[in-house]
Amino acid sequence: MSLKLDHLSVSYGHEPLVSQLNIQVKSGEFIGLIGPNGAGKTCVLKTIAGLLKPHKGTASITGRNIHSLPARQRAKHIAYLAQNRHMAWSLSVRELVSLGRAPFRSSLGRFSADDELAIDAALHTAHCYDLQNRKFDKLSGGEQMRVHLARALAVNAPLLLADEPTTALDPYFQISILKALRASALSGKTVIASLHDLTLAKQFCTRIWVLHEGKLILDETPETAFNPDMLARVFDIRSTDHGWEIL
Amino acid sequence: MKYAWLFILCGVCAILSLSVGALSIPVLDIVPALFGHGEDIHVSIIQDLRTPRTFLALFVGAGLGASGAALQGYTRNPLADPGILGFSATAALGAVGALYFGAYAWVTPAALTGAGLGAALLLALAGHKQSATLLILAGVGIAALATSLTGLLMNFAPNPWALSEIVYWLMGSLRNANANAAMICGALTCLGLICLILTGNDLRTLSLGEDTAQSLGVSLGKVRLLLVVGVALCVGSGVAVAGAIGFIGLFIPHIIRGIFGADPAKLIPLSALGGAAFLTLADILTRLLSAQGTLVYLGILTALIGAPFFIWLAMKEGQS
Repeated sequence: MSLKLDHLSVSYGHEPLVSQLNIQVKSGEFIGLIGPNGAGKTCVLKTIAGLLKPHKGTASITGRNIHSLPARQRAKHIAYLAQNRHMAWSLSVRELVSLGRAPFRSSLGRFSADDELAIDAALHTAHCYDLQNRKFDKLSGGEQMRVHLARALAVNAPLLLADEPTTALDPYFQISILKALRASALSGKTVIASLHDLTLAKQFCTRIWVLHEGKLILDETPETAFNPDMLARVFDIRSTDHGWEIL
Repeated sequence: MKYAWLFILCGVCAILSLSVGALSIPVLDIVPALFGHGEDIHVSIIQDLRTPRTFLALFVGAGLGASGAALQGYTRNPLADPGILGFSATAALGAVGALYFGAYAWVTPAALTGAGLGAALLLALAGHKQSATLLILAGVGIAALATSLTGLLMNFAPNPWALSEIVYWLMGSLRNANANAAMICGALTCLGLICLILTGNDLRTLSLGEDTAQSLGVSLGKVRLLLVVGVALCVGSGVAVAGAIGFIGLFIPHIIRGIFGADPAKLIPLSALGGAAFLTLADILTRLLSAQGTLVYLGILTALIGAPFFIWLAMKEGQS
């Protein structure tokens, strides 16, 4: 799998949201997409997921334009974990995770043996196999997030996009989610996750994209990305012995 | 198994509907009477009156129940009702227009035309947009416009008799049921049910929200088209033959959800069966109550049963 963003720009009406992204990604990378609120992280992920159309440039996966692919075909290649994790109706955990196989389902809505295997594997990877018969709305926030992650993993797509997968979770669940995403990347998938926790991004990601005012200003390894210049310019903070501090 | 229970319930309701009325017919005499055997009066009542009436109750109830379930699934809102897309109001406007001009034979075609025009207008206004909110807002606007035009026609009714015809028609009833109406309503409702059932798997995926559903390959445009056509066929054909009957599409999916679970895909056929059973029972009740001398209208009865039940459900949901 290869992902290529070529002069990708997205706008809302006449207002540019993201400008001139030129990036290439190969399999097995775990990319942390960081930037302050409003920098355009969700916009980038939604555009790669095919939910927003670019007004300039292209996004392609394995040489095929994402926005020209039929919806079901695209869904088989790109899994998307949205920021909004509200569930309208109370389904069981297994029913919810099985929605990840929607792009593969026959017209009669039946699941194949492969689908069931993918669902089981996703439940195991996200550590929620034991929750599978419980109702989603009876779970804690952290457990719900793991279930949503399992739903995204069940797609078994080569590219997984996760929009703030650790937001509002306690440290145990944040680490648990990021470990599952890293395991997915190590198994050969590409993972792009927008993250607010810089320490965790540094700890788990193999590559960092820094987005500022709709522009990609840095594309480096975690070791070099979190330098004082970037922290001051993008986040108005600095790193001290006691943690982060506002400038 | 849940389907079997509801099928049995519908069957029992249908047998009761064939048996109960101003003249009770023993259950064992029903089948012979259906095939023209037995007392002439029984044969006539079963074949000409109660069989079409029973089928109409089953079809109209099924259409309203399934429409409510599908709309609640699409809007992800348990308070959605088939009326919010405006088709019952536009169908009623068509029927009232025919009654206004004294064209009684055209009431059913005019109501169907009203529902069809309502669906076309809704798709023209909101069909190209992705948002469910816009579809609902446009539907509410169309319903308000059609209701005000219906009021205008009643305002200018040529005589009190025409006005009373309109008012009684709007109260909803199956007492004018005949084989033609049952066949038209049955065919259109079945088509509508197929459209709605086809949206089931996508509605289940839509539980995750529109963005996630689209990322899983759901075409919101296809779902919306099937939903609008399905609801227009079910609601339009129901209003055309039975007048305005409310609340079934609102509270039947609630009850079914409480008993059988919230899966939107399963809720559509289950609510169709639940709606069919409920409307058949309600129609039997109108017959029993009307036997006292004054006609009790089906739409009034369903609202009288449905509204308190809905308030109870809303309070219960609020407390939980």
